[in-house]
Amino acid sequence: MPENSREPESLLLVDDNPTNLQVLYQTLEASGCKLLVAKNGETALSIAQKASPDLILLDIMMPGIDGFEVCRRLKADPATAGIPVIFLSALTDTKDKVQGLQLGAVDYVSKPFQPDEVNARVDTHLTIHRLKREVEEKKDALEDELEAASDVQRRLLPKNLPEIEGLRLAVHYETSLYAGGDYYDVAKIADNQWGFLVADAEGHSAPAAVMMAMTCALFRSYPHPPAEPGKLLYFLNEHMCKVADPSFVTALYVVYDAGSRTLKIARAGHPPPMIYRSAEKKAIEYKCGGVFPLGIDAYEQVPVTEAELHPGDRILMYTDGITERFNTDRETYGEERLLRQLEAGGDLRPQKLLTAIVQNVNAFAGGRPADDDQALLLAIVE
Amino acid sequence: MEISHKEENGIVFLAFNGRLDGSSATEAEQMIKSILEGENNRLLFDFADLEYLSSAGLRVVLGAAKEIKRKDGKFALCALNAYVKEVFEVSGFGAIIPIADSVEAGIDEVKK
Repeated sequence: MPENSREPESLLLVDDNPTNLQVLYQTLEASGCKLLVAKNGETALSIAQKASPDLILLDIMMPGIDGFEVCRRLKADPATAGIPVIFLSALTDTKDKVQGLQLGAVDYVSKPFQPDEVNARVDTHLTIHRLKREVEEKKDALEDELEAASDVQRRLLPKNLPEIEGLRLAVHYETSLYAGGDYYDVAKIADNQWGFLVADAEGHSAPAAVMMAMTCALFRSYPHPPAEPGKLLYFLNEHMCKVADPSFVTALYVVYDAGSRTLKIARAGHPPPMIYRSAEKKAIEYKCGGVFPLGIDAYEQVPVTEAELHPGDRILMYTDGITERFNTDRETYGEERLLRQLEAGGDLRPQKLLTAIVQNVNAFAGGRPADDDQALLLAIVE
Repeated sequence: MEISHKEENGIVFLAFNGRLDGSSATEAEQMIKSILEGENNRLLFDFADLEYLSSAGLRVVLGAAKEIKRKDGKFALCALNAYVKEVFEVSGFGAIIPIADSVEAGIDEVKK
């Protein structure tokens, strides 16, 4: 709001002694503030609630509710808790000053006061209060924007996972700061083939979200059926190189042929998938060659690794926000824990298994919030 | 995160101690930028005391590599611990940035 359109700030002056109140009024008249007055605690509380003054100058010794109690009630009510209070009192004992400040007052002025001192302190606290309010307003506006970006971004993710014959899917997606850099998608290819993409734009929040949206747009505008993982990553990289600098995006792309139960895997700087072999009851990180992340430099060739799945096998694609989730001792969750979780739980449905994994990661982290985005895509062969 | 800096025989050495992650990346980027403002174009990162490197840390290394490439210079990393080495292998960055086992081998790499 421009400076000149702002309403004058308002001060509430509270004192039971009419002479004191008048002196105070005259002292602050030249400040340009709108002055409200109250002669006792009850009236002060009522005016504070109705008029929300920008600052309250409060006498302590008053009949009825005293100034300390008025301050306590102001601070207990969310509607008035943010209004700064300056005590003005003839009580000069340090104990009284400390009590006043402990109740949440911002300052304490002893009576009889010097008019210049009162004006200077009022001016200081109005400025602090105004700046604080402006910072809060900007923070709210920024959070609104981030939330709006987050909403848009969530709409980029698939609404539902497809029904695939012989393959059950589940997904978990969580951002650390509203909008995030993680992305997953599923593409239907002809002949009962499916493409699964998991990507992670470096960083998080707004810049990563833009890169994530770019990756999504490029993936969906790929001009061929995305049946060749190497070619797809080559295409994404070619375009990301034009915009990503100095950032980058890691990606894992897997094509699943539901008829032959075979996988083709390509990887750009991204952790390889984990595969659980039902026959061996063991999960491993599936070794596959790869290239550096998207958006850095042109690729010569993107290696593709093949794998075969059998009924009961599981494949997990994830972003490193999972394995690099910290606990309170600054240890990371790591690949080993994730592998053991993928082996657990016998005949679980993918959504249940995924929920158990996420719970295990959260339990490991303890009270420490995630500082990166986390995405998991799990498929179980029937 | 602490970064110490020295120059010897036309090579800039940066020794990293601690964790290069989101919370230290910006500071590291600014330091590298100011060091590379002059004529320097031979840069060696000593990672012997680097405990942890996140993707934000990879961005710092990548930024340095690009800047050195722009200045037609030489850049290498050396003395990585097993964890950090694995990060470079899995991420594919090992293919675009020379990695030496020891400081001596690193010096040879950037002297070429």
